[in-house]
Amino acid sequence: MNEINTVDLKGFVGNAVNEVFDTMLSMEVEFSDADSQTTVDGNRIVGSVSFAGELMGSVCIQVPDVFARLMTAAMLGMELEEIEGEEEVNDVIGEVSNMIGGDLKSRFCDSGLPCELSIPSITSGSDFKVESRNWSRHESFVFRHQQHFAVVEVFIK
Amino acid sequence: MALKVLTVDDSKTIRMIVKKAFKSFDSVLFEAENGVEGLAVAAKEKPDLIVLDITMPVMNGVEMLSRLKSEPDLKEIPVIMLTAESGKDNVMQIVKMGVKDYMVKPFKGEQLIERVEKIVKLGPKKAEEPAEDLSKRYFSVDGDIQVLFLPEKIDRQISIQVEGHLKAKIKEMINSGVSKLILDLSKVAETNMSLIKLIILVTQNCQKSKIYIRVVGTPSMSDELKEFAETSEITIENTVEDAKAAF
Repeated sequence: MNEINTVDLKGFVGNAVNEVFDTMLSMEVEFSDADSQTTVDGNRIVGSVSFAGELMGSVCIQVPDVFARLMTAAMLGMELEEIEGEEEVNDVIGEVSNMIGGDLKSRFCDSGLPCELSIPSITSGSDFKVESRNWSRHESFVFRHQQHFAVVEVFIK
Repeated sequence: MALKVLTVDDSKTIRMIVKKAFKSFDSVLFEAENGVEGLAVAAKEKPDLIVLDITMPVMNGVEMLSRLKSEPDLKEIPVIMLTAESGKDNVMQIVKMGVKDYMVKPFKGEQLIERVEKIVKLGPKKAEEPAEDLSKRYFSVDGDIQVLFLPEKIDRQISIQVEGHLKAKIKEMINSGVSKLILDLSKVAETNMSLIKLIILVTQNCQKSKIYIRVVGTPSMSDELKEFAETSEITIENTVEDAKAAF
């Protein structure tokens, strides 16, 4: 499918991430040239959703714990110390990945690549990595908000 | 009369955002985390408006909407659908389903209120007539002890309501120097996962805030709670008086 190789992933992801961070978190983010492998390491949370249909794949957002807590406080309109625990943080990162995935899915469908979206899943910890295998395209984008970084990866075929 | 709004979403985050959006309006919010719960709450509470997510586990929003439309008592309730997908096909499908309006995530609370105001009358919260304080169904004060009473049947809706008030109650307790809480399960008829989760939530919150907790329940409940790893260590008192004496 030629469409998969020609879709503007950077444009799609950039728009989706900016829209979600701006609307839901009131945070400005921008693309960064930082290395996606080393920027987000240590304790981190990954929120991901999958696409299934003519286009298969997934999108995930990886954020360090500290940034994830900032995002949670921003989305729920509370102070950092008011966050009760992992459940709230996981829910927020899951919802962020769902919104980014939903926006991407719409762009894919409108580009002639119909697909369905899964519900989000969450992985957290420090000793793991997200690997790419047998995908037609795998692209990573690093976003920066002040001194914090988030990595968004897209795998499609 | 306060507007009754039901928010159905598997994400607690989204339910909180919807609740906050209505905070300054004369409204009572009910929550459900999937279509099955949503239908149950809708049948029980007869809300004036439903804010319904599409993608949810157990029963998604599309199926819930279709069942809602087949119920004579419920079919006229206006529904605003929430979707993370703004694609043409998705929007067309939503419009065909007969919803009053839809919102594409991400959205701000103010944007939701703008849509709501086109469908139902939304008045400002009346200071002199506050909405029913649901916390009074569960929380009361007995001397220097906060009592959390749980009703006969514990389901997800009850859990959500208690959870929604717990944090504020604990804050109130800390501010007023109250450091004891009795969790009264004496009327609870059945041990289920909603109850277990609620007991864990309450005990963890109390431990975190250095609040002493005693639990009251029947001997059979005491036996049942011992079967669960998370509640096996909890000592169950037979009566509230016993619990008071145990502090």
